[in-house]
Amino acid sequence: MQFDLDDDRELLRSSTRDLLEAEAPLAQTRSLMEDAADGYSKAFFGQLAELGYFGLLLSEEEGGAAMGAVGLAAVLTEMGRVALPGPFLESVMAAELLRRAEGEAAAGLLRRLLGGEALVVWADREGLAGAEPGPTETRLESGRIRGQKTFVPFGAQADALLVTTTGGVALVARPDAGWASTALPTLDHAQRFVRIELDGPAELLTLSDAALDEVRRLGSLGAAATLLGLMDRSLEITLAYMAEREAFGAPLASFQALQHRAADMLMKTETTRSAVFRAAWASDEGEPDAAFLVAVAKAWAGDAARRVCGEAIQMHGGVGYTWEYDPHVYLKRVKTLESFHGSTRAQIEAALERAPIAAE
Amino acid sequence: MDLRFTDEQLQFQADVRAWITSNLDRPWSEHVADARHTPDSLVEVRRQWQKKLHEAGFLGMGWPEEWGGRGATEVEQALFEAEIHRADCPQVPNFLGIGLLGPALIHHGTEDQRRRFIPPMLSCDEIWCQGFSEPSSGSDLASLRTRAEPDGEDFRITGQKVWTTFGPWANWIFVLARTDLEDRYGGISFFLVPIDQAGVEMRPIRQITGESEFGEVFFDGALARREHLVGKPGEGWRIAMTVLGYERGAATLSNPAQYDGYLHDLIAGVRAQGDLERADVREKLGRLIVENEVMRSNGLRTLANLAAGQAPGPESSIEKILWSEFAQRQSDAALELLGPQAQLAPTSRDARGGVDWAYEYLWSRAGTIYSGSSEIQRNIIAKRVLGMPTR
Repeated sequence: MQFDLDDDRELLRSSTRDLLEAEAPLAQTRSLMEDAADGYSKAFFGQLAELGYFGLLLSEEEGGAAMGAVGLAAVLTEMGRVALPGPFLESVMAAELLRRAEGEAAAGLLRRLLGGEALVVWADREGLAGAEPGPTETRLESGRIRGQKTFVPFGAQADALLVTTTGGVALVARPDAGWASTALPTLDHAQRFVRIELDGPAELLTLSDAALDEVRRLGSLGAAATLLGLMDRSLEITLAYMAEREAFGAPLASFQALQHRAADMLMKTETTRSAVFRAAWASDEGEPDAAFLVAVAKAWAGDAARRVCGEAIQMHGGVGYTWEYDPHVYLKRVKTLESFHGSTRAQIEAALERAPIAAE
Repeated sequence: MDLRFTDEQLQFQADVRAWITSNLDRPWSEHVADARHTPDSLVEVRRQWQKKLHEAGFLGMGWPEEWGGRGATEVEQALFEAEIHRADCPQVPNFLGIGLLGPALIHHGTEDQRRRFIPPMLSCDEIWCQGFSEPSSGSDLASLRTRAEPDGEDFRITGQKVWTTFGPWANWIFVLARTDLEDRYGGISFFLVPIDQAGVEMRPIRQITGESEFGEVFFDGALARREHLVGKPGEGWRIAMTVLGYERGAATLSNPAQYDGYLHDLIAGVRAQGDLERADVREKLGRLIVENEVMRSNGLRTLANLAAGQAPGPESSIEKILWSEFAQRQSDAALELLGPQAQLAPTSRDARGGVDWAYEYLWSRAGTIYSGSSEIQRNIIAKRVLGMPTR
């Protein structure tokens, strides 16, 4: 038995950390979320494409790195640590769906996605109200798609959308006149969600029944790994502040009431690491309980990250409430990831449904 | 990463499971619900169960063969404990003797001590209890005041110990006592003391469950022989602290395995009363399932690190907080969801059977206090993992 990453994945993790620290540190995240219309750095995503990051899960024959879910989780944990903005997980999910689809259109788009020439994201959700995505009503008839999708991540910038319809997943290329989209700004200033009205040509992808579930599960796992990174770094930032800031003539870190809260933050973070990487490993190995473990990991990570990143603000005191200090950047991303890729409540329900001990 | 058990380990697990099936005549919960049992006869059930486990070679598995062991790995011990906890077996009376005293004797004892004490401890012909805590020394154990004064070659012990599990049935007690009043840690020594002697008085303590499984012990010049001193005078604290770290792999999977059974019972009960489709009920159950599975993931990680030869770290503090606080939430939820029937005494003819949730509810209150309270565990995490300063 071994919990640690193997040498290949450890090298991937450490080189990802080096890359992010050099090219996309938190300061960069902050300037992008405040000043960039796109909300992310297309140049850095070009670099990620060049280094093969969008093909992490593809086999070597497909031109990928075959790093599996464990490798992806390691990368996303690192991206969470700098709260990297932009559609990375969305791109990986799009690649995973396209590689499962038959036909030249999908294959061609996949090549462009992997090469960094096309941004492809999912348009899965309908309706604005409610914790769960509304029922799918978007229709594809005689090669024409009609409907409305909400909370499409970085949709305005996308070159193509993968749209869930009543008849399956449709591939929609950006119209010449651009998308008919409306911005949906949320509390997470690094997000660029839009609502998109669809009324134009589209093509149905040929996919197996399992494909959509597999890719959604990957999204849940990826979100959980990102949440792990967010809380990992929030804890670090908080510990550094507690060591340096003094009150009543002593560092905050010496006060037992705060020590116990910090201990709870560590427990939440480390248990999430255990849950996320076990789920990733089970996914790679095709273990029968992999779907259950992913639901467990996402449910746990969402609650844990909200607590840890929320505590980070509280432990900083007044400055934790300022725009200048970093804790809010992490908590805001947590709120996005908690709500999408299967909300915490939806994952709790999935865990109950799939738990071996709950079977009749 | 590799969290898979080997074929040999899985075979071992299957063998243990099969052995339990053919040797456990009656689950422990049925004994407890049987009004004909007395506290003494329940201890006898546990003693007989320990004898069976010993004869099958399952006790002290990680020890050298000479002392009844089979050189079992951390993983095998963890799998064994998980199966035992899954199957609603009686707890063995000498769990503290086997868990703490055995390793202390093997690593720090004399050949004569091992020969004299290990065989009857494993066979349960002698029951051991632990004399560490004192009325004024709980979380701050090193402040203990029971003293051992020289008497010729031997020692005379005077003081009081408390929370001695199985004390009322024990024949021997292993005791931490001061041979030096000044030296806080270096003045503590480790003694083996027979209970049946003038100068030792054992009184049962009635717990909130109504049982008297614990006792308090009064020493008034009790005799501890020189040959029953473990290690040298002054080595007691170090021995006690190091044995607490041995065989910690064994418990990594047992709590989630036990709680699997409890949750299965709870879900079956909720289903039988027609409440399983209620959204609020489902969320409560789902959260418990998630939390228990996260504990298992954490246990697998600890076990994998141990199996890979990494030194055990403070993750046992994390584990202790997780299971003890989970057990309270779990029984809170059970009593809430199952209603007052779950509060009926298990011997009542109207009791629901299965897990005695009222007992679990009360007993789980102790888990966050004994073996280092949750507050002590959080101190350990803050100081040893996070490196935070003491004021």
